[in-house]
Amino acid sequence: MDVSVITGNFKFLILQGLIGIGPFIGGTLRLAIPAILLGFVLGIFVGLARLSATRWIRMPATMYVEFFRGVPLVMVIFWIWFIIPQLLRLPIPEYGVALTAFVIFEAAYFGEIVRAGVQSVPRGQVEAATALGMTATKTMTYVVLPQALKNMVPSLVTQMIVLFKDTSLASIIGYVDLTKAAQIVNNREIKPFQIYIFIAIVYWLCTYSMSLFARRLERRAA
Amino acid sequence: MKATLALFLALALALSSGAPALAQPDTLEKIKSSGVLTIGTRTGSPPFAYINKNNEWVGFSIDLVDVLIKPEIEKAVGKSIKVEKKESTPPTRIPLLTNGSVDLIAETMTDTPQRRESVDFSLTFFYTGAQFLVKKGSPIKGINDVAGKRVAAQQGSTNAKILREKYPQVQLREFPDQPAAFQALAQGQVDAYTNDGIQLAGLKAKAPNPADWEIVGDFYSEEPYGMAMRKGDAKFKAAVDAGLKKGFESGKYFELYDKWFGPKGDVPYPMTSQVKAYLLKQIGK
Amino acid sequence: MNYSFKWSVLWTGQSGYWLLQGLLTTLELSALAWILAVALGILSGALRTVNFLPLRWVATFYVEFFRNVPLLVWMFFWYFGVPPLLPRGIQDWLFNHGAEFWAGMLALGVYHGARISEVIRSGIQSIPRTQFEASVAIGLTTFQAYRLIILPVALRLIVPPATNESLNLLKNSSVALTISVAELTFQTRQIETYTAKAIEALTAGTLIYLVLCLSIATVMAKVERRYAIPGLIARVGPAA
Repeated sequence: MDVSVITGNFKFLILQGLIGIGPFIGGTLRLAIPAILLGFVLGIFVGLARLSATRWIRMPATMYVEFFRGVPLVMVIFWIWFIIPQLLRLPIPEYGVALTAFVIFEAAYFGEIVRAGVQSVPRGQVEAATALGMTATKTMTYVVLPQALKNMVPSLVTQMIVLFKDTSLASIIGYVDLTKAAQIVNNREIKPFQIYIFIAIVYWLCTYSMSLFARRLERRAA
Repeated sequence: MKATLALFLALALALSSGAPALAQPDTLEKIKSSGVLTIGTRTGSPPFAYINKNNEWVGFSIDLVDVLIKPEIEKAVGKSIKVEKKESTPPTRIPLLTNGSVDLIAETMTDTPQRRESVDFSLTFFYTGAQFLVKKGSPIKGINDVAGKRVAAQQGSTNAKILREKYPQVQLREFPDQPAAFQALAQGQVDAYTNDGIQLAGLKAKAPNPADWEIVGDFYSEEPYGMAMRKGDAKFKAAVDAGLKKGFESGKYFELYDKWFGPKGDVPYPMTSQVKAYLLKQIGK
Repeated sequence: MNYSFKWSVLWTGQSGYWLLQGLLTTLELSALAWILAVALGILSGALRTVNFLPLRWVATFYVEFFRNVPLLVWMFFWYFGVPPLLPRGIQDWLFNHGAEFWAGMLALGVYHGARISEVIRSGIQSIPRTQFEASVAIGLTTFQAYRLIILPVALRLIVPPATNESLNLLKNSSVALTISVAELTFQTRQIETYTAKAIEALTAGTLIYLVLCLSIATVMAKVERRYAIPGLIARVGPAA
């Protein structure tokens, strides 16, 4: 099998596609890492909002989660790509479009994980904290969330891996991530089998390391 | 569940009634304040706009913008500007233009009366016609041979539209862009790929084995290429047209043409005298 | 930027027909891929729990490799990378019968098979090992034990995460538009290409997906309640 197309374009695929260093706007890691962090943070707010006693906080949060879990990510990307610039009367660069789409979409999923994690903390903890005189916010921040986070780690990392893979959809709007870089090379050289197996392996290496890291975290937290 | 659906629908309808007819922002103003001219262009349409072996984004349309149009825009806004490129394809270019993501479509877009309803076009900068790309030795020799055959076209292109409307017996397969359609042809998924002759020439020249492909058929449609911009933006259009006009008059346009389409160019495609006359007639020569 | 709304484009002209075609294609694609995914999932999920190591390794390789690579990459792989390797006869048949649909179905089914496998595996693993030992003690072979005792219980346990995965499959069918499968999202883009009314087209598509997903979720919640096994109601494992 002729692998020269891989070796010849290795720098382009890895430096430009995977990392984001190069003449094009791109990079899987450059998109995935902020998306994961921001998505998780937003997810915490969404998850907590879903548990709120206040109806006008809880209802919008529930509808937000139900909406984004009921539509494909591809749809969300198209919405943001085409419509938001029109509404805001501002052009938005591809990076911004992709990042926004991923953050608001995945926040719904992170929110559910946070919600499940918080709900798995025994009620007695909250009662004890209140008995000690802690306010609701203090209880949440110092007692519930830390314990919840421990329970959430496996699901969280799973979702992060999912988000990492989902970043490949940014190629649809022309963002030069690893998948788009592979397409660019393939469009010119037409050697799809080698090229796509190669990036499959690269993606696999990244996600497998993420899951190994997760297993280590789990063992430490246990 | 019902609440979510209802809310979404309500939002969508509210959007439609509430969205005001927003005043047309001035593209030149936009460029002046941002310092950037954003163009929508292709990545797989050699030699108009494509990514070459060194993974650089180059092409004839891109050069027209950099060499002829950019100086005119800079003159109009009174400062130097940068040109940024975004990828656009037939299905995405008009939405990207109308929502402001790009200011100018500089690729291989045909100027048609129907499209003029949504966008404005610059002076024609190229003139070609639609043909077919087939494997060497294929029985297909032109538009009369394609009934019942599988033909690839780009989704949203004039070629797809014409086949759909005028030649419904053709088994039309639409692809999101040229490379995808070409790969389908290369694998035998379709019997022919239709696009404008000059683009087929570029594709053939850049293919791994150019000798395997043939361009067949008389032009079954006329395809004048123009650069598209938002409707009603007279000042911007004047600047773009001035740039192209100066290029025709000074001969710079023909130098660029030679660079890409001349005998030593990427895709030799000599300009016929009729095409040259057509281009010059636009500016009154 | 000017945008004039024209909701009528959704039901005049071709749009309604395209939307319907898109919806049908999405459902067909998802249904066939789902059958493939469940078959592969049950097979590999079960194989990962048996004592015979080589089969376990094969199943583990399948799951760990296929589910950790993005679906989009698989779409391109099955559509562009695989057909040239097939014998000419099969290639010709494929190209005359919608190669992109079959490539999309394979990509979707094999990918989700690996994910459903994890769900099924955790379902099986949450059944006490004594059940398996008891089945063997009364004379059943391993295969019979799985088929008659383990799997029926496991499948009832995993209804919530399995529903989740099935909905993911339905939503992921939209990725097939990148290889030109004329499913629902592709058709909303098609409407937009021909009418220039992006908001109307996207709204129609989004609504259809929402209705589909929310109704399936509601129905499956009822199914879960009916088939829940008393005493084992606790949710089984995190869905992959």
